[in-house]
Amino acid sequence: MVLSELGKKISGALRKLANRTVVDEEALNEMLNEVSRALLEADVNVKLVQALRQSVKRKVNLEELAAGVNRRKLIQKAVFDELCNMLNPGTSPPPLKKGKPNVVMFVGLQGNGKTTTCVKYAYYHQRKGWKTALVCADTFRAGAFDQLKQSATKARVPFYGSHTEADAVKVAREGVDLFKKEKYELIIVDTSGRHKQDTALFEEMEQLAEEVQPNSIIFVMDGTMGQSVYDQALAFRQRVNVGSVIVTKLDGHAKGGGALSAVSATKSPIVFIGTGEMLDDLEPFAPQSFVQRLLGLGDISGFVNA
Amino acid sequence: VLSFLKGLTTKTELTAEDLEPVLNEFRDSLIAKNVASDIAQRLCDSVGLTLQGNQLGTFSSASRLIRNALETSVTRMLTPRQSEDLIADIVNKRRETGEPFVIVFCGVNGVGKSTTLAKVCYYLQSYDLKVMIAACDTFRAGAVEQLRIHARCLNVDLFEKGYAKDPSSVASDAIHCASEKNVDVLLVDTAGRMQDNEPLMKALAKLVSLNKPDRVFFVGEALVGNDAVDQLLKFNAALIDNQNTNKPREIDGIILTKFDSIDNKVGAAVSMVYSTNIPIVFVGVGQTYVDLKKMNIPWFVKALLR
Ligand SMILES: Nc1nc2c(ncn2[C@@H]2O[C@H](COP(=O)(O)OP(=O)(O)OP(=O)(O)O)[C@@H](O)[C@H]2O)c(=O)[nH]1
Ligand SMILES: Nc1nc2c(ncn2[C@@H]2O[C@H](COP(=O)(O)OP(=O)(O)OP(=O)(O)O)[C@@H](O)[C@H]2O)c(=O)[nH]1
Ligand SMILES: [Mg+2]
Ligand SMILES: [Mg+2]
Repeated sequence: MVLSELGKKISGALRKLANRTVVDEEALNEMLNEVSRALLEADVNVKLVQALRQSVKRKVNLEELAAGVNRRKLIQKAVFDELCNMLNPGTSPPPLKKGKPNVVMFVGLQGNGKTTTCVKYAYYHQRKGWKTALVCADTFRAGAFDQLKQSATKARVPFYGSHTEADAVKVAREGVDLFKKEKYELIIVDTSGRHKQDTALFEEMEQLAEEVQPNSIIFVMDGTMGQSVYDQALAFRQRVNVGSVIVTKLDGHAKGGGALSAVSATKSPIVFIGTGEMLDDLEPFAPQSFVQRLLGLGDISGFVNA
Repeated sequence: VLSFLKGLTTKTELTAEDLEPVLNEFRDSLIAKNVASDIAQRLCDSVGLTLQGNQLGTFSSASRLIRNALETSVTRMLTPRQSEDLIADIVNKRRETGEPFVIVFCGVNGVGKSTTLAKVCYYLQSYDLKVMIAACDTFRAGAVEQLRIHARCLNVDLFEKGYAKDPSSVASDAIHCASEKNVDVLLVDTAGRMQDNEPLMKALAKLVSLNKPDRVFFVGEALVGNDAVDQLLKFNAALIDNQNTNKPREIDGIILTKFDSIDNKVGAAVSMVYSTNIPIVFVGVGQTYVDLKKMNIPWFVKALLR
């Protein structure tokens, strides 16, 4: 399971702390070093890791602790809380309303899995009884519409797009209007890959959002990404109202820590993870229970309520 | 760092203890630039060893000493031992055998293989070479149409057999066709795959071992984090392990894409070259045909150490 290696390392560091006879500054630092190393190896943003260290140290001020306080539990809880905060932005994804036209727009960097995930997302909801359709507003990438068309056909989801129109905003509007008229409940808009350095494409994204007025914007990120995720995700969030995150390619070897950066930068929860190239390789994601599993809460549940 | 160096000026020789804090700080800055964390550590360790015992003069020369050592080490690492002369090799093979020069592009999903292939096509055409493209990604939706569009724009032939065919036999048919058409260079696109996906890695090795291409290029993206090294090592290992010859084809070069979306977080290149010694042949800096560049090492080292 994704991120589970990271979880093992962190709970290992916490357990080591629990086995020490004296819990002093040195022990705390050693544990924090170990946790930091594990986070950095998993591609969590350097700044977030530094913030975690500082925050734990602030909460666990060893010198000023009253006698009798259980230092181990205090430290463990501080680490646990910080990790929960990283994965859980405290917001929930914009809800979809049955019987109404819900427009969901996908955005993200080039090649991160938007088109594939759009179709998986459509397939997932269609099987749950939603009347679902796809709109291809990527008029930029070679073969983008063919890709969506072929995948959507396989998933038996209706689609709209154009081989000739170059104006993505126009295609998006036409597609969304068409499916609204036909009383579709879930209208999913796929967009071109883009990055913050490309001002023209970022502007286009704003116009797209303005035009189709999405109920929800999903940021799709590749789980193998490194230190650049944070800046990129933040830039997307600054331009459009990202409300949730989907992390893809977690069937590979990557530890997926970049996802924590995307959550932090967009202040949005992870709602699904992508675990392969097939239509049903999409799993719902619940941060809270994930962190619990991540840290093997079975063995350390004692400190959660400490 | 500065205060630490001031403390050093009275000493004559640098010791490991002197160096540790400054190297740790440097390691963290490398990680922030997206160098994989264990590679950053190893790089610092080796720089530390070369510096130990060095005589120390004035303050300014101490700071220069450390910087220079890092700069030298990274520059040496990134400078290929043999100069890669793709064009000369193509011309030689054509003159000696009359057969097409075959280049295979491989890598994980969505990194930019097909786009890079199209850019390389454009680059080769600027040397008046006759190029053909082989659509051996017979899996991903729209992969063939994507290449068809590029082939049309670049005015070259596309060899394709549609989807669901065995990629290595498509490649072999394409080579025959290229030979008949007196093509100089055949560019073979392959499907993206995760490095841990054994059946797909074996299929790639089969394509390479059956068709004996003249070059195998690994396409990676500059955005990748700690997974960079694992991807490259496993692709190379899969090639070596699955060919029944004592001189198996290996990865000849790396093409790193999406440099335009990382600002100065250039570390992925360091991780890949440090761990394999495989040279970076080109870097991708955008989504159009001209966005393919040779690596500018001084610029690169500056970005890394800034
Ligand atoms: N292994 C794996 N591959 C994936 C996953 N999600 C997407 N992919 C693959 O990643 C590659 C890129 O996916 P796309 O859906 O084309 O990405 P995109 O974001 O739409 O790309 P652009 O439109 O060019 O920006 C394809 O080869 C997909 O099959 C996943 O969860 N696991
Ligand atoms: N910004 C930027 N985008 C790039 C670069 N190279 C490729 N891309 C984009 O990355 C996305 C994926 O490119 P593809 O060439 O389809 O990638 P691929 O590796 O062939 O993907 P699969 O075949 O699905 O595994 C497209 O949107 C490209 O335009 C680059 O150097 N810079
Ligand atoms: Mg797409
Ligand atoms: Mg491709």
